[in-house]
Amino acid sequence: MDANTMIDSLSTQFPDAVYDTKVGSNIRIFAKVKPESVKDVCTYLKKNLSFGHLCCEFGVDYPGRNEIEVVYVIGSYEHSVILTLKAILPRDNPEIESVVDVYWNANWYERETYELFGVKYLNHPDLKPLVLPEDMLGEWPLRKDYKGFPNKTARNLV
Amino acid sequence: MAVEQTDYEEIPGVTLTDRNVISDFVKKTKAQDILNWGRKNSLWFMVNAMGCCGVELLSTGMAHYDTDRFGIIPRNSPRHADVLIISGYVTKKYLPALKRIWEQMPSPKWVIAFGDCAISGGPFYESYSTHQNVDEVFPVDVFVPGCPPRCEALIQGFFELQKKIEAKQDRGTEY
Repeated sequence: MDANTMIDSLSTQFPDAVYDTKVGSNIRIFAKVKPESVKDVCTYLKKNLSFGHLCCEFGVDYPGRNEIEVVYVIGSYEHSVILTLKAILPRDNPEIESVVDVYWNANWYERETYELFGVKYLNHPDLKPLVLPEDMLGEWPLRKDYKGFPNKTARNLV
Repeated sequence: MAVEQTDYEEIPGVTLTDRNVISDFVKKTKAQDILNWGRKNSLWFMVNAMGCCGVELLSTGMAHYDTDRFGIIPRNSPRHADVLIISGYVTKKYLPALKRIWEQMPSPKWVIAFGDCAISGGPFYESYSTHQNVDEVFPVDVFVPGCPPRCEALIQGFFELQKKIEAKQDRGTEY
């Protein structure tokens, strides 16, 4: 199965949920997905198109557009195509369905995106901060408008 | 019949164990020099590798440098240790654990800030997740700069600490 076949199969199966599809090269394909149907799309990708490997999942903050993108990079062991799937969320209340039931390794990725960007994953089995302390929850340090950077380091040495 | 409460402080010659009267008295005498001589020659350090400087810290304790000849011995329990070596950046999440290690160490105890991260933040300068200025939290006696410092630099740092203890200038004890 090559890149064009896959993207066609995806758009035919989810004509409403999947939009802005793009074939970058014969090993990279891109698509955007509606946040409410991301779990269905991932299930279809895993079951029917043999995208069995979630390489990474992360967030991107766009304060100008007032949006947060959640990006899923999904690969496969059977064909050499990597799919970049993007879900666009509102910045003031980012909520998306968790894909842990489909890709189990999304657990820690989603916890990290939660603590750094504040994306709330619905039906996540254990949504708590991964590496940051509990009391930093709510600061969302990787958002572009984060103001909490310290600037008094090495004050005594200068 | 009510048990009569004895006021031990009233009895002449009795000193309670929760007072520092004896050690405060000894600090003013020549006996403290002998105590400090013993302390400076048995600086057991806590093996607490916190970052990449921790690798240098571990190699310092290995056979090649043979720090046992100076009385510098790595210990794995804070209850055996005299010296806490902050060998890396202190994140906000790790600071409570480090404070707990420090509180578990019995006095007299000293701190060495080992490496640029512990001193000033190093590459993690202005990071959202690191605690800045650890010298405000711990009474740091010796700063060993480097990224990471060599093992010889750490041994040099121990020598500086020994000199401070001998001169009664260390921050581990109030003279």
